[in-house]
Amino acid sequence: MATLRKNNLRKATESGSRAILLLSAMISIIAVFLIIVFILGQALPTLKQVSLKEFFFSTTWYPTQDPPHYGVASFIIASFEVTLIALILAIPVSLSATIYLSQFAKNKLAQILRTSIELLAGIPSIIYGLFGLSAIVPFVRNIFGGNGMSLLSAGIILAIMILPTIINLSEVALSNVSQDLINSSIAMGATKWQTISRIIIPAAMSGIVSSIVLGLGRAIGETTAVLLVGGNAPVFAKRPIDMGRTLTMNIITDMAYATDTHRSALFMTGALLLLVILILNLCVVQISKRKRLEK
Amino acid sequence: MKKILTILLILMMVTSVVFAQGRQETSKTATENYSFGGSSTVAPIANSAIPAFEVKNPNVKVSYETLGSSTGISQLLEGTLSLAGSSRVLKDSEVKDGCVTTTIALDGITVGVNETVSIANLSMQQLKGIFTGEITNWNEVGGLDQKIEVILRDEASGTRASFEEIVHNKIAPKQNAIVAHENGDVASKIAATPGSIGYIGMAFGSIITEAGGSLLTIDNVKANVENVLNNTYPISRALYVVTIGQPKEGTTEKAFIDFLLSEEGQEIVAENQFIRLN
Repeated sequence: MATLRKNNLRKATESGSRAILLLSAMISIIAVFLIIVFILGQALPTLKQVSLKEFFFSTTWYPTQDPPHYGVASFIIASFEVTLIALILAIPVSLSATIYLSQFAKNKLAQILRTSIELLAGIPSIIYGLFGLSAIVPFVRNIFGGNGMSLLSAGIILAIMILPTIINLSEVALSNVSQDLINSSIAMGATKWQTISRIIIPAAMSGIVSSIVLGLGRAIGETTAVLLVGGNAPVFAKRPIDMGRTLTMNIITDMAYATDTHRSALFMTGALLLLVILILNLCVVQISKRKRLEK
Repeated sequence: MKKILTILLILMMVTSVVFAQGRQETSKTATENYSFGGSSTVAPIANSAIPAFEVKNPNVKVSYETLGSSTGISQLLEGTLSLAGSSRVLKDSEVKDGCVTTTIALDGITVGVNETVSIANLSMQQLKGIFTGEITNWNEVGGLDQKIEVILRDEASGTRASFEEIVHNKIAPKQNAIVAHENGDVASKIAATPGSIGYIGMAFGSIITEAGGSLLTIDNVKANVENVLNNTYPISRALYVVTIGQPKEGTTEKAFIDFLLSEEGQEIVAENQFIRLN
């Protein structure tokens, strides 16, 4: 009798904990779903006042003027521009650092390097922004001219911010390359450098690419740091050293007191950003799927 | 057995919270709710005055929604709000619809420049030229040969709306300008950008000088409480509350306005760095 009860209890606990685990897993799915629903719910009223065409293709953002203008084209371009600058600067540095860390660094030095990269990942973005304002803005002003607040400054800050993302993830990819493959390459008489460039990197390529896409996602969604150094002028930046405003900056700048269409236009900007990030994430999923197939 | 006990205990805790909530609600039956709202500049005054006002009137519950002056007044006319805060004067149409303002405080807007700018004074005309983009170099107003970097506030800012109204009436400001999203941001960007000029609520002028910028006199008048009160400092404004018709004796709206104008209310105005009326 007692054993039976004990058995039943065990069964109940087992199915109970399974239900809790399932519920926890569902919560994250539900969260994504709710975020999309609520952002869109707040964003769609914009379309009563503004046509999609004006919203996406006009560069005039003047929500408090009479009549108001809600065009975010220059913000879309600025968002991609700062991200592109960040990637151009960050990819060579982070890949070299990754190769060094995974192939050359000896224990102690590797430890120090890894710790400092982790530290870099842990610094809050407002600190990056303040650093940008006091160091990078004057640097850009002195070297390239303009007032220093620019898409270029924003891109430089973002490049530093996404270094740890790319380095950490692509190092995992590099260290996952099978030791047999490396040993065979060396046995065939290939030098270390040949092994790295012809065997290890191609084998880890999909992991490296997804780390870059994740870094890209972080860069395009970053708000605080770029707000401090980008100038935030709602105009179309003709050159990288001109001031500009990204999608994220646009949301944060006016959010506090915006009302009516102005407010929903900011949500629309958010929906657009969400869409971009979702597409990027789908890309990562596709890349890692291909990787699994190759194996 | 232990598990069942734990579950029972959790259930008891949850239900006790629910019941406690219920009791609290029933004990507060006789309160009257009032919705005020409007200007974001008036909001700090309203939000510090409301708790003190509610202590004096325990059966009254007041909320102040930060909507912006125009939205506040239009909701007042629709009947959603019974009192609106405004940092601008009424439009003709609003006066025609029966809106009446009561001045509750004064405020000035200070203009600050980066330390590299060798100018101490600007006329209102020059200020207008700079912020509308007609004047782009400091040498046009008697300074060095240096590009002027204009710093604006965000579109939703009450300070920006007042500055636009007082300084460059209805002409849109220069678009290729740095946009700061709050007062602290204005101060740090003035400090960080050579040749920059920006504006800030008078109460916050000190954060520009602390950050390393300097404050200008306008038409040779310094921005301070005295000069706003004697009407010589040109960039000043009054803060109002708006009602439909004169506030009636005996209503909560009238009591709230009287509270704002009382010694205690004006003390709250001063605490929030605005200029008291007396």
